[in-house]
Amino acid sequence: MADFELARYVTIGQYLATDSVIHRLDPRVKLVAFVLWVVAASCTGSLLGNAVLLILGLAGLALARIPLRFGLSGVVPAIPLILLMSVLMVLFYQPDPGAHVWLHWRILTITWEGVRLALVSAARFIEMVMFISILTLSTTLSDLTRALEALLRPLRALRFPADEAALMVSIALRFVPTLAQEAERLMKAQAARGADIGTARPWQLIRRTRSVLPVIVPLFVSALRRADELVLAMEARGYVPGAPRSSYVEYAARGSDAMALALTVLLCALIVWLPWPW
Amino acid sequence: MQGYSAVSAGEAKRSQTRRIVVTGVLAAIAILLGVTRLGFIPVPTAAGNATIMHLPAVIGGVLEGPVVGGVIGLIFGLTSFFDATNPVFKDPLVAILPRIFIGIVAYLVYAGLRRVRVPAWVNLPITGFMGSATNTVLVLLMIWLRFHWRLPVILSVAVVNGLPEAVVSAIITTAVVGAYLGITRRNAKSKIS
Repeated sequence: MADFELARYVTIGQYLATDSVIHRLDPRVKLVAFVLWVVAASCTGSLLGNAVLLILGLAGLALARIPLRFGLSGVVPAIPLILLMSVLMVLFYQPDPGAHVWLHWRILTITWEGVRLALVSAARFIEMVMFISILTLSTTLSDLTRALEALLRPLRALRFPADEAALMVSIALRFVPTLAQEAERLMKAQAARGADIGTARPWQLIRRTRSVLPVIVPLFVSALRRADELVLAMEARGYVPGAPRSSYVEYAARGSDAMALALTVLLCALIVWLPWPW
Repeated sequence: MQGYSAVSAGEAKRSQTRRIVVTGVLAAIAILLGVTRLGFIPVPTAAGNATIMHLPAVIGGVLEGPVVGGVIGLIFGLTSFFDATNPVFKDPLVAILPRIFIGIVAYLVYAGLRRVRVPAWVNLPITGFMGSATNTVLVLLMIWLRFHWRLPVILSVAVVNGLPEAVVSAIITTAVVGAYLGITRRNAKSKIS
């Protein structure tokens, strides 16, 4: 029966109210800083640089007063995969011709480059989990969408539809739980009609694939129908795309926000451009 | 882009509201498929799962054009990046960038075949297949560039994961778009009569 529960898995919008320094930062600043950290982590190929990023991520979690068991909850289920991937990467790394080879046996070669790449990938994964945790656990969803709207607003000068983009994101996030319920209802309805839902074992691939179809197709169609109704409702209430709209909450950046942003820019720049030895 | 010359300004505005809402709702499905097991069909390969999460992007591209398809793909990419338990997909260049092109390619294929008057029941499966293939090819290309997997590994993932995904995508795209366009046509008729 557990297979029929979908809404339980929807953890979007989880928020941990610890009222820390990070929680009180302007959400716009947090969003920009988050993007910078993610870019820094994906640009850094050095082992030492990634170690520093890991320490900074831990510091960020501590600063946001997020317990490690929340902040790193995404890492635990991934550990077996990370290990497997690392082993595969080390064994099957395609070495450059001049690489220093540690061990060579038939098609398996272990090189320092391969080990380094595996370690960097694992570290990068943990860094990303930490950055995402810090952002989403310290910022509510409505704050995030409003921050996105505010940040995109300057792009209006380039005829980029900033308000519309933010509205789109709000609609998407708002509809996830609704559609989860809808999918649950569809699964139960189809199962009541004798559909093959929740009975196939994980390794019965074809049966599982086929059992998805009678839920997925009506889910799409009913979602599109809901979209039609929402368009009608919005027009009836006088929504005009691109017309100026006011907001309930206005943000004002403070000194601490400027400091946080300056610190982030400085640290990210250092990590990306420092000539790390390895 | 849309050639609204024959349509009044009010009509154009309305279809923009439509595009915003359809993008939002289809993106919601993409997120839902990502955070529940609904979107995954487990396959025992290195990439982990065969997915149907890219379908909203394909369907959005077909129904509302390249911008809608591209944005839904972007949101799909963001969820797969945020939610990834696989280290490979914690790299935005693998998880996000390739996904933007799913809906765009789907739109180009669909519009191109429509222009040469290919009937919908042939066009839609091809569009679904190509949209899914775009996802597979571009993501694997980025994995190859960023993680240096060996070519045989990449190719075997493409065949073992990509091929069934593309076939499933062809079937579901045809079913969904066919059913939806059928519905609107019936509604239009009942309004007139």
